[in-house]
Amino acid sequence: MKIDVGEALRYLGIGDAPEDLRRQAEEIAAGLEKALRPRYVYRVFPLEHTPEGVRLVGADAVLTGKSAVNMLADCGLGALMACTLGSAFDLRLSALQARDMAKAVILDACGSAYVESGCDAVEAELSARFPGKYLTDRFSPGYGDLPLDLQPRICAALDASRRLGLHVTESLLLNPVKSVTAVIGLSERPQAARIRGCAHCALRESCPYRKGGKRCGDEI
Amino acid sequence: METKFELQFGSRCRTRNFYLENTLVLDGGMGTELQKRGLPAGGVPELLCLTDPELLKSVHRDYIAAGSEVIYANTFGANALKLARTGHEPAEVITAAIRIAREAAEGTGTRVALDVGPLGELLEPMGTLSFERAYALFREMVTAGAAAGAELIVIETMTDLQEARAALLAAREWSLLPVFVTMSFDESGRTFTGCTVESMARTLEGLGADAIGLNCSLGPDKLAPLLKELCEYTRLPVIAKPNAGLPDPVDGHYDMGPEAFVEALLPCVEAGVSIVGGCCGTSPEYIRQLRSALEGKRPGLRQYRDGGFVCTAQNPVRLEGVRVIGERVNPTGKKRFQKALLEDDLDYILDVAIQQEEAGADILDVNVGFPGVDEAAMLPRVVKKLQSAVSTPLQLDSSNPDALEAGLRVCCGKAAVNSVNGDPAVLEKVLPVVKRYGAAVVGLTLDQEGIPQTAEGRVAIARRILDAALACGIPREDVWIDCLTLTVSAQQEQGRETLRAVRTVREELGLQTLLGVSNISFGLPNRSLITQNFLVQALGAGLTLPILNPNQKEMMDAVCAFRVLSGEDEQCRAYVERFAGDAEKKPAAPGPEGLTLEDAIVKGLQGDAGRLAREALETQAELELVEKRLIPALDRVGDGYEKGTVFLPQLLSAAQAAQAVFEAVRASVEARGGTPVKKGALVVATVQGDIHDIGKNIVKTVLENYGYDVLDLGRDVPPEAVVEAVTRHGVRLVGLSALMTTTLPAMEETARRLKALENPPAVFVGGAVVTPEYARRIGADFYAKDARESVEIARKVLG
Repeated sequence: MKIDVGEALRYLGIGDAPEDLRRQAEEIAAGLEKALRPRYVYRVFPLEHTPEGVRLVGADAVLTGKSAVNMLADCGLGALMACTLGSAFDLRLSALQARDMAKAVILDACGSAYVESGCDAVEAELSARFPGKYLTDRFSPGYGDLPLDLQPRICAALDASRRLGLHVTESLLLNPVKSVTAVIGLSERPQAARIRGCAHCALRESCPYRKGGKRCGDEI
Repeated sequence: METKFELQFGSRCRTRNFYLENTLVLDGGMGTELQKRGLPAGGVPELLCLTDPELLKSVHRDYIAAGSEVIYANTFGANALKLARTGHEPAEVITAAIRIAREAAEGTGTRVALDVGPLGELLEPMGTLSFERAYALFREMVTAGAAAGAELIVIETMTDLQEARAALLAAREWSLLPVFVTMSFDESGRTFTGCTVESMARTLEGLGADAIGLNCSLGPDKLAPLLKELCEYTRLPVIAKPNAGLPDPVDGHYDMGPEAFVEALLPCVEAGVSIVGGCCGTSPEYIRQLRSALEGKRPGLRQYRDGGFVCTAQNPVRLEGVRVIGERVNPTGKKRFQKALLEDDLDYILDVAIQQEEAGADILDVNVGFPGVDEAAMLPRVVKKLQSAVSTPLQLDSSNPDALEAGLRVCCGKAAVNSVNGDPAVLEKVLPVVKRYGAAVVGLTLDQEGIPQTAEGRVAIARRILDAALACGIPREDVWIDCLTLTVSAQQEQGRETLRAVRTVREELGLQTLLGVSNISFGLPNRSLITQNFLVQALGAGLTLPILNPNQKEMMDAVCAFRVLSGEDEQCRAYVERFAGDAEKKPAAPGPEGLTLEDAIVKGLQGDAGRLAREALETQAELELVEKRLIPALDRVGDGYEKGTVFLPQLLSAAQAAQAVFEAVRASVEARGGTPVKKGALVVATVQGDIHDIGKNIVKTVLENYGYDVLDLGRDVPPEAVVEAVTRHGVRLVGLSALMTTTLPAMEETARRLKALENPPAVFVGGAVVTPEYARRIGADFYAKDARESVEIARKVLG
């Protein structure tokens, strides 16, 4: 798994990075790749479409809200996944913050890009395990109207605290901080990309890109 | 069969010795077995003891029938945190679970263990759960388990050494039962939090576990190399409770059958593992086959690898060759450090420690003793602060046993204590504390009569200290002897005596030797020459642990060269790395011609900015330098950031260069005894429930380098703590940060309480989900979209 350095720089609002900054980011990314790898778990459940939402059969969880219903409309199977850089990353980040804040913000952004690579790896594995099935975009609690309080259920169903060292705090934050949980639907039919848009993003009100008439997926 | 247990669980010591030579079979997986019998993935299995005792009992009975000599009661997650939302108390659940296990075991001779798993939240510094709270939660489980009749305590599936420490301390201090501790490791040989096998082994043995080992995470095939490693690092019985291989990610089924499981586990027993069972995915059939394969077998003989050792969870340090102890985390003779202690400026202390680590210290001596400082309260706080960002093992330096106890208690890993001496009164007070926490101890070769003037006199004291330590149960390898450096300009013959004593202690007693070397040259010109020469001679005589300032290049150069000549630095790698660049570096100094202070700040050149500021201060007043040069340069960077031509990392680099300018200003002001240049103070905090603090830290960095005094309360800060800090320090501006929608209510509550004060401070808020509208709605005075804007706000409010 590699870190997309361009993506990391974009998280920092840097589209066209000056040479020295890009080189610095590449060095930090290489150091991070050497030090640790994203770890992930996932599990596939049959889906049952019920009036209160989409039920994951065999797990103690129902995905409520319109987003889940729409996203998973065509799907008979759904995967829950969790991916984390672990607390080793958090320790590395806090150690660097005490030494060099400029480098720390770059490491932070590299961490975000790295955990996304881990999520991409899960999608690639699912595609390989289920040839002929089509994956929906992955979506996480907090996207659209998928409730954030699903977080503990997803982590429990994946035994994420034992298998990844991933915990959910009382205020429903994932800890270690560079962690993602998500749902991915598996369908017989091709799925339109739906999730990558501002409408689903929890940051749409305060997003600096939107204010500038741009989007975070764009080249800035 | 039954007599075997009656005997062995009677006393801890016998438990240990017996299971070095005999095997013990534990049970297999509980969670996966319950799922097989109908519990959904993600259900709360602990409550089954209340809702379906027969189901639990059936699993226990099946394991007993299969040959388990110990069964784990279903109490893994029965702690107050995990049970919080269920409406049940730990004592209720634990009492029921132990009763069920005992009923299942009745008349069979099988023993019942209280099972203690992780709390489900991360401890400081990774999370926000304090060590003390974790200890209290474990204590609650231990007392309930012991009262309910558990016959031993197993602490398992730990991935954070500090959490395992908290649980083990609670078990040792609140019961008399034997305690087993197992942790979960990756194939890489580390836990999720980066703990190594050797750090785990030596820390937990030192802290008084009766058996230690590995459970969960992997199958016995993958755990085998780690188990063999573990057998070398401990004198305790070693436990293996692996998974049935790896789970299929799609459906969760484990891939290793009972035959393969047993086949992979047997070589571990031959290598010395004596206590075995199964974890996730294993069933009674695995245990049946395991038990029958072990019939008549004894665990293999082990080779214990002794030798001195200290560590943090992530950083094991074997005392082989020369290990440098950094001496600068100490207020003696250092005004700036003393001030930091008195003003509670722990960031400064951390900074000193980081510099020592980066300069090559292998161990850090930590001393916070100073008039006006409550050492027993300060030492644990400093230990926690240092361990949040420094991975070097610590040597706690104090003569106050209460401070040492408080510091060792929270210190993760195996630490050292500096120091005891030959005075029996001192030995009696300090050695038990050292033993209780499994630390190493430094013995000074002096006693109530003073310092012996001959090497023989000092060696005699060293022997006394060693004997006292051994009598107290501290192993030989954990006794370090300081033969004392005296000042050669006052007592010239003492240089020789010290060296002779070092040689004898090293060669005849075989102990680690320690010397603070710099004292040798006191009162002489060109001190570093004498000190360096003495250091080299002492290393030659057998000094293994020099205490020095690693920022002094001559000293580290000498250590580096010595390591080449002693053969420790294999293929001279470290030496070449340290010096190979020298020839090329020289022509580059002293920096580009015509570089102005402003340029240095804008470009983020810390070294140049500090140098140019010191030059400028020869002709310019401090305040003028700050107002006319530093601030405008920072503003130039800030404007660029606003326009999108300067990016966040560059903004922060400039801020760090400004820091160097401020250090120069501070030194200049102090040198002439003037009042410091200060622009006013503010409080910043990440609100309660929120753990993402990098945004707040960015704001802090930038504001500090505009000259503001920033009181950083950290993350997950309760509203009352913010109010308390504001009223105590009379602060007029508060910055609050929140990242998640779920923590916005805490921001609102904090703002509300601040505004309810008689003389409310101005409040600004920011963070990913915060909007200007939201800021207005909760009564904040300002919304800061980024760090740059927080500077504008600080200017408006504080000037």
